[in-house]
Amino acid sequence: MAVIFALDALTGAVFLLTTLGVVANRQVLASLQLFIAQSLLLTFSAILLGIATHSLHLFAVAAITVATKTVLIPWVLRHTVSSEVYRTREIDRVLNIPSSLLIAAALVVFAYAVANPMLSAVHTPFAKINLPLGIAAMLLGIFTVVVRREAVPQLLGLLALENGVFFAGVAIVPDLPVIAELAAAVDVPVVALVVGMLTRRIHVRLGTTSVGRLVALRED
Amino acid sequence: MELAGVLFFPALACALSLSPLGRHGRAAPITLIGSVIVFALAVRVAIAAAHGGHIEAFGEWLTCDGLGALVLGLVALVAMTAALFSWSYIRVRAAHGGKRKEQNYYGLYNLFIMSLLAVPILANVALMWVAVELTTLLSAFLVGFEDTPEALEAAWKYVVLTTVGAVLALFGFLILYWGSRIAGFEPFTWVGLVEAAPRMPPALLWPAFLLILVGFGTKVGLVPMHTWLPDAHSQAPASICALLSGVETTTVLYVILRLFPVVGGVPTLDARPWFICFGLLSVCIATLLLVYVRDFKRMFAFSTVEHMGIILVAAGLGGAEAHLGAAYQITGHALAKSFCFFSAGSVAMTFGTQEIASVRGLVKFAPLSAIALAGGAFAITGAPPFALFVSEFLIFKAGIASGQYLTIALLSFFVAVAFCAVLYHVNRMTFGAPHGHPTLAPLPWSCKATLVIAAIPLLAIGIYIPVVLQNLLRAAAAAMGG
Amino acid sequence: MATRILYNLLQVLFIIAVAPLVEGVATKLKENLQSKRGPSIFQPYRDLWKLFHKDEIVSDYTSWIFRAAPYVAFAAPIFVALLIPVLTRYPLFFAFMGDMLGGGFILALGGFFATLAAVDTGNPYGPMGASRTRMVGFLAEPVFIVVFLTVSFVAGSTIPYIVQLRWVTPIANFFEPSHILLMSAFLMLILAEDGRIPVDSPSGAFELAMIERSKSLEYSGRGAALMKWAGAMKFLVLICIFLNVLVTPWGLAAGTQPIEVLVAIPLVLLKILGFVLILVYIESSLAKLRLFRITEFLGAAFVISVVAMITRLSEI
Repeated sequence: MAVIFALDALTGAVFLLTTLGVVANRQVLASLQLFIAQSLLLTFSAILLGIATHSLHLFAVAAITVATKTVLIPWVLRHTVSSEVYRTREIDRVLNIPSSLLIAAALVVFAYAVANPMLSAVHTPFAKINLPLGIAAMLLGIFTVVVRREAVPQLLGLLALENGVFFAGVAIVPDLPVIAELAAAVDVPVVALVVGMLTRRIHVRLGTTSVGRLVALRED
Repeated sequence: MELAGVLFFPALACALSLSPLGRHGRAAPITLIGSVIVFALAVRVAIAAAHGGHIEAFGEWLTCDGLGALVLGLVALVAMTAALFSWSYIRVRAAHGGKRKEQNYYGLYNLFIMSLLAVPILANVALMWVAVELTTLLSAFLVGFEDTPEALEAAWKYVVLTTVGAVLALFGFLILYWGSRIAGFEPFTWVGLVEAAPRMPPALLWPAFLLILVGFGTKVGLVPMHTWLPDAHSQAPASICALLSGVETTTVLYVILRLFPVVGGVPTLDARPWFICFGLLSVCIATLLLVYVRDFKRMFAFSTVEHMGIILVAAGLGGAEAHLGAAYQITGHALAKSFCFFSAGSVAMTFGTQEIASVRGLVKFAPLSAIALAGGAFAITGAPPFALFVSEFLIFKAGIASGQYLTIALLSFFVAVAFCAVLYHVNRMTFGAPHGHPTLAPLPWSCKATLVIAAIPLLAIGIYIPVVLQNLLRAAAAAMGG
Repeated sequence: MATRILYNLLQVLFIIAVAPLVEGVATKLKENLQSKRGPSIFQPYRDLWKLFHKDEIVSDYTSWIFRAAPYVAFAAPIFVALLIPVLTRYPLFFAFMGDMLGGGFILALGGFFATLAAVDTGNPYGPMGASRTRMVGFLAEPVFIVVFLTVSFVAGSTIPYIVQLRWVTPIANFFEPSHILLMSAFLMLILAEDGRIPVDSPSGAFELAMIERSKSLEYSGRGAALMKWAGAMKFLVLICIFLNVLVTPWGLAAGTQPIEVLVAIPLVLLKILGFVLILVYIESSLAKLRLFRITEFLGAAFVISVVAMITRLSEI
């Protein structure tokens, strides 16, 4: 048990590192790869918790995560968005990387502050690791959506946010009904598909995927 | 079995619209017939719910109570009028988009309606979340239907922001599930949550509530998460605007209102100040934006933000009277706002612009649209004899009776300013002196028909509320914990 | 007592003697990885030998600082070697003199003198390299401090001998997130401090792109040899702190028998070889960052160290 706990903690640490990577790297393709790594770590955490809590649901979650997030979504994104986008090196962003990283650190601190009262209210062993790190990944995902201007990295921030929810979720609700699990799992690739197709249309119509620069509609 | 039918017929209509049967413009009548059937079923559900019956189908998977039936009925009604409006409107708009464009529109339209209808009747809260998320995803391409840079920008903001909100709400629901499991195994339904709430640790219930309020508040368009709403609600085709503004916002707001009795079960927590704060902030900012608005579809979008705020304030005031006002406001808003967008769409089609400054002397060039626009503006701002006048009056009365003077003073001030702002703009459009001679496009027949047909319920319930509807509204208010 | 002093001197000798070898191995492996033959691993010794036998030229315009700097830079790692565990798990005779922070200060002193000397020469490249080194330095400083703070939170001490045992008792501690994060942050620090890719290119010969090495361009003969040797020793000392204190104490001598200490030498060398392999892999797979991107690199290190501290503070 102690070893599983330690391994889960390690998984959590690397999970957080990959999420920081999604916030702070410069290349679209690297963002995608970091997202895949993050999903694999989510899977690993689900398997560990599944072993520890003898929950078959979590193995289902792991299987679904691998199928959708490491295979299906990258495939969808590669095929809907033209490869020109992935060759982009410098991602257009609102804040420079050092400032974003400092804010990211503050967000992680905040995540722990938010998680603490919840953790002290109830006793769920693995939530101690997964809940704060999941919340941190959520905040970092939202932050990515805010600071990125390119379409695909914004979407990856959104997906990282979703991974954060599930990372916390596997620890706090190991027995969510499978139908809900499945439905949520179907939902994620649909998000990727819809956003990917939208990106393609924006690319075709406007010749850019820098969605942050679309400011025709605003109050003035 | 009505509840199953409510989900089945849109799916069938979608399949038929996309199949070869839907070619040569036949998708429009198919969709219209489907939505009429759905509306009839929804009315049966609503009548049963008004009589206090508990409706369910597929065992426990689909259920419906007063509040659910109200939302269900409104969605079905607006889906029907919007389908009628689409008939010739979309034919004109899709004329350059290739053969499949119209069929695709109706396929997505029916799926979108299905997801909207699923929200109030799915018993499992996790599945309901999926339905809410699907409303966004299925309507994304409807918002971007015009394929202009502005429409695509609006669609992008719409999908990304509301999905971020929905994922936050998902986390809130997971925490709720966690809490209900700790409280002892209740089914993960609204009824189960209300029962489990008193035994849940407040440290879990409270963050869950806030997450869902902020997350779904994004989709409702509460300030400060409203930034996408005026874009999406002004760039989509008018029929979709009517659905987005008239019922999609309300459908999501329904979920937030459902939380009210859950949080109310814990004596140490009080959701009401949050409802009132968010509500008043939304009303305030939306009113200010209404004054400066330059695009008339945007104007109605801001008015939606304002109305969501009013409903939230009404729920936050507490008490049966205020909740009845909220239920009534939901009804009035759905009818009036969809009508407003139909008329705004007609005006935009006739004049080929959405700019307020470019439309003058409407009453001379397009009298039907002019009457509809002015009537819609009166209805939406709460002028008598329309329903929103009665509902806002009920809300003010309830607030004064319970001694919340400051809230009511602010609310009534903003509502009055919004009234003046909207009527100022509409007055200039309708009666202002026209500059030159604008080139006008003819208004297709189904748009005209919709303007007439959609006006009937709008006028009717302002003047006379049938007993059945009254009972339904009371049942809905009761479900809000009034 | 006497053995402890002896072992302590042995540690110093180890650092002095092995440092050029480590550099030679790193160069050779890197060349091999890039499908080149590369110089012999003993090339740094030959270079030192050659430099010591050459005449030294000192500009008339320099002050005593220029002449003193190589000696200070050379002495600094030696002092640190007295403090840290290089071969043994237990503190040796001089270890009481300072903790990890003390070691950091001594290394910083050597760097400081090298920087002053670079400014002293009047060579245009010297001050440029000096200012760049300071830029990297002041970005790395907060990371160093946070890493040491975190370590002291974890182990309740900044004495390296206490810290190193904390990671492996019990073994589950090794997998602590804060430990893993600390290791990654410190690895990035070593890369920055020693002027490795992606921060600086150690083998580059283009003065305008240099950071670390342009400081000693003006030295010749004995001064150049000392500076070169000092750099190699500083690198080895950092590796020792990283491997022995922050990663694990495995391979270090646990007992006081001379044979144990002698066996520790090849084991530590093996550990260092492993580290050099990782380093070479990193250096070959990354490109050098542009100067103003270094802030991003060290910013990432800073965030990782802060996260390490947070995960620690919240008792994970």
